[in-house]
Amino acid sequence: MIEYLIDGPLWYFSLAVFAIGVVWHLVSIIFASRKQDLSVARSSSTSGALRTVFSRFVPHKEMTSKIGLQLVAGYLFHLGLFALLFFAAPHVIFLEENLLGFGWTPMPHWAFIVSAQAAFLGLIMLWVRRMVNPVSRLISTWDDHTAAILTFVVMLTGCFALLEGSTGLRLLHRFTVELWLIYFPFSALMHTFTFIPSRAFTGAWFGRRGIDA
Amino acid sequence: MKIQTLLLLVGLLLPQLSVANGPPKEVNFPEGVSTERLGGDLWREVRQRDIQSSGISQVKGVESGVLINANGDLWARFRMQELTTYGGIAIAAIFAIIVLFYVVRGRVPIEGGLSGNMVRRFTDYERIVHWTLAIVFLFLATTGLILLFGRPLLLPLFGKEAFSLMASASKEGHNLFGPLFLVSLIMMLISFARRNIYERGDMTWLLRGGGLIGDGHASGGFFNMGEKTWYWMVILIGLVIAISGLILVSPNFGQGRTIMSLAHVIHTIGALILIAVSIGHMYLGSIGSEGALEGMKTGYVDINWADAHHDRWGKVCHEENLIISAEEYARLVGQRPATADEMATAEQGK
Repeated sequence: MIEYLIDGPLWYFSLAVFAIGVVWHLVSIIFASRKQDLSVARSSSTSGALRTVFSRFVPHKEMTSKIGLQLVAGYLFHLGLFALLFFAAPHVIFLEENLLGFGWTPMPHWAFIVSAQAAFLGLIMLWVRRMVNPVSRLISTWDDHTAAILTFVVMLTGCFALLEGSTGLRLLHRFTVELWLIYFPFSALMHTFTFIPSRAFTGAWFGRRGIDA
Repeated sequence: MKIQTLLLLVGLLLPQLSVANGPPKEVNFPEGVSTERLGGDLWREVRQRDIQSSGISQVKGVESGVLINANGDLWARFRMQELTTYGGIAIAAIFAIIVLFYVVRGRVPIEGGLSGNMVRRFTDYERIVHWTLAIVFLFLATTGLILLFGRPLLLPLFGKEAFSLMASASKEGHNLFGPLFLVSLIMMLISFARRNIYERGDMTWLLRGGGLIGDGHASGGFFNMGEKTWYWMVILIGLVIAISGLILVSPNFGQGRTIMSLAHVIHTIGALILIAVSIGHMYLGSIGSEGALEGMKTGYVDINWADAHHDRWGKVCHEENLIISAEEYARLVGQRPATADEMATAEQGK
């Protein structure tokens, strides 16, 4: 019964909530009414937007020494998670069989393990920093903590099910993934998608005014 | 010996095969082999109780020529009997001692109470390193204890199916998190090593039992002798655990079963020692000593706590005017300053 629920209705429900929620959220951001910018354009807002989307991947050199740990932990976590999600063999097979109908070459098992370790270390360090740094702690909301803990739990149950020999552990992992998908559109996890329009908006605004930032 | 074993095996198998090909043929056994106790001799040879030897096998790999490793049985018995029994007793004894200590001594108060004036003890980075190591260690300790004591303790409680899930999950989690412990350990080594070098005066702390013997005050620097010893235990035993763990988790680098068994025993004993002492560390760093947790929570400690437990460092803080007021501390850590009433209530509640 539980197996049927998790593999069937709950999976489709969570997927629908995720897809509709993300699209609705992005559309509402992109088409949100904004005041018309009456300033005289000094430079192209499009090139400013494009530049900022990519330039923000590297911190300003004045900041690098102060945020070294965040930088390393942040990249460890995000790159590790990206690799896990899209290149771990069980995920590639799952996506091919249940969602996309096509697959691609997965990464070798050792790379899968290293990616998982990098993602875990990065996430733990980022969350500890959130709790330890007074400013981060002050501006952190329940949503931030829930998003981090839920992501950790999803990764942890995935790690528990690594052997792929137990239905119970596979179901546990899939259930936490479904919870994560349902929570995703209403939470800080949306930054997975919103970081692009957010950077582009700032970049366009700066670009139009000729600000090199 | 090997040729004899092989011939005996052939000798045993031939009559079976010959059933299909007609009446059994007479077998000529080598000289010196007793045909009266054929089965006994054969299995004694196979069992290799008396001597370890390696044969020839089509399979290419470490120890693939060894049919049965008698040392494996020795290791299994040690793991299931001595290691589990004495390890469990050690952990339970530490718990009991700490509970007893807390009942008898209670929470060690700060001499003169909390002043509200604070001094910076740890940076954000140092606390991140500490808590990262702590989280990874607690995860590994929990999963490791499930693997070690699960069969006698958890199996009767949860049943076979639930326990098999727990054990499988623990094994995978333990193997995956193991290398993170090594990384955290190296970060801990780099961040804290300089201040944990032993210095003049540390021995006095030890002779006074960390303040438990005599008038209750033992002189200490930034880290006292007990903390330094704990730190070096974590680093050195931690490295042994990490390396032995890597030997266990990567069996494809040519290590045989004897090395694996040895690595497992060293890994487990080292881990049990660290777990046992860490229980004491957690107790003293939280409920056991007033004001101690603040250092790792906010990075600041009360100056009276510094004077009481680390007087040599406290003296430096006074001399170099590193002490900040309660208001300044509250601003720095993003808290509302405690009112006089709250301070008094906190003092009364001790």
